Amino acid sequence: MKRYISMFLIIILCFLLQTTLFQNLKIANVSPNLLIILISSYGFMYGRKFGMISGILCGIMSDFIYNDIIGIYILIYVLAGYINGSAHKLYFKDDMSIPVFAIALSDLFVNTLFYTFSFLLRGRLDILVYMKNIILPELVYTVIIGVIIYKMLNKLEDKMYPPVEVPLDSGNNTGQEEI
Amino acid sequence: MRKRTKINIDPKYILVIIVVACVVLMLVSFKFQEKMTPVRSAIGNVITPMQNGINKVGAKIAEQIEYINTVKNLVDENKELKKQIEQLSSENKLLQHDKYELENFRKLYDLDGQYESYPKVTARVVSSGNDNWYNTFIIDKGSDDGLAVNMNVMAGDGLVGIITDVNKSYSRVRSIIDDASNVAGTFLKTSDGCIVSGNLSLMNEGVIEITDIKGTANVKDGYAVVTSQISDKYLPGILIGYVKDIKRDSSNITQTGRLMPAADFSKLNMVLVITQVKDSEDLEEMLSK
Repeated sequence: MKRYISMFLIIILCFLLQTTLFQNLKIANVSPNLLIILISSYGFMYGRKFGMISGILCGIMSDFIYNDIIGIYILIYVLAGYINGSAHKLYFKDDMSIPVFAIALSDLFVNTLFYTFSFLLRGRLDILVYMKNIILPELVYTVIIGVIIYKMLNKLEDKMYPPVEVPLDSGNNTGQEEI
Repeated sequence: MRKRTKINIDPKYILVIIVVACVVLMLVSFKFQEKMTPVRSAIGNVITPMQNGINKVGAKIAEQIEYINTVKNLVDENKELKKQIEQLSSENKLLQHDKYELENFRKLYDLDGQYESYPKVTARVVSSGNDNWYNTFIIDKGSDDGLAVNMNVMAGDGLVGIITDVNKSYSRVRSIIDDASNVAGTFLKTSDGCIVSGNLSLMNEGVIEITDIKGTANVKDGYAVVTSQISDKYLPGILIGYVKDIKRDSSNITQTGRLMPAADFSKLNMVLVITQVKDSEDLEEMLSK
């Protein structure tokens, strides 16, 4: 339960920061995508269900406030959350390489899908320009911020559910609940 | 510990359900765009006040930082400025001459009166869109303050965009540099028509696209472009920007170019909303009869 509440609050906080503060911290005309960092991290840390829930939440806020057609972002974000959740098997707390890779891939995935949905279909074919101007700069920026946020989420997880030390002779581990 | 009685559904099926729901939602919201407003405002009314709060705190911090920075820069700037003053005063004389010319043209177009007589409301920009693809932003005035869809938004003396969505306490503005934006414009000097459209791939250079200028039109770089009479949403005579890089298309029928917007889009804090909607529907009714 604590996880759900913290997730809910963190997502709202990040959404607020992204639409206000980070719009003023633009580098090379792009701002990082905090939402995809959260979706990717939650999916990767807690599994498919959490990935999808965070995806829905982020998608609803983005769509309802900023888009004409409701549903595009929900769809893309839920898919991203699900795919990241599938990688939950690889989750190991202190390993940073896989989550960073996952965040980068998710950002690429989201932006490519979004480009296809709302630019390619309108006949804007020069994908290389968009790659160079938007997708790649955003990718780099997002990954850098993503490392920080992922570390913070892991710390929070440790605070909420302190790791249980298991003596070597007893076999049953009751530390983590199954999701 | 109480025993958990959970219904375990494979996430696969949940995903399929959500995907189907999303597609339905997209179609419904596309079809009934206007009826969705209450649903939108339910979420927006919670989020926007919070964004507003963050903005106010942010503005204060930015003010402090700027103050420190300015003191440092002032000394250097002062020297440079003195040099510039001499240069500018000579340029000013030339401009004075141009201004006289411009005033004449304004009288010709009867712009002057129209421009200032539009009723306006100032609004603060609360937040910008959440991605890098679109250029929309939220302002802190809504239907309670008398705003409505299709009202024009200005900053300084240039056109910024148009209101696409109005809620009780906030509204969404699509700026003219947005990729999906098209504005019918006309050249102030030659009154040739053209289309000003936003283009994401040109945005880094701070310019937008201008197309469909007649091949016979005698336009030169630096000419001013204003909104056209024939536009069905934009009020006539609002300055959009100045044209540059005019090129003749290979077909030789039209010319295209770039347009420097008159409004500064990198620093949008306060905007002016013209609370007058162009009544093109009345006109269409008249014509159809």
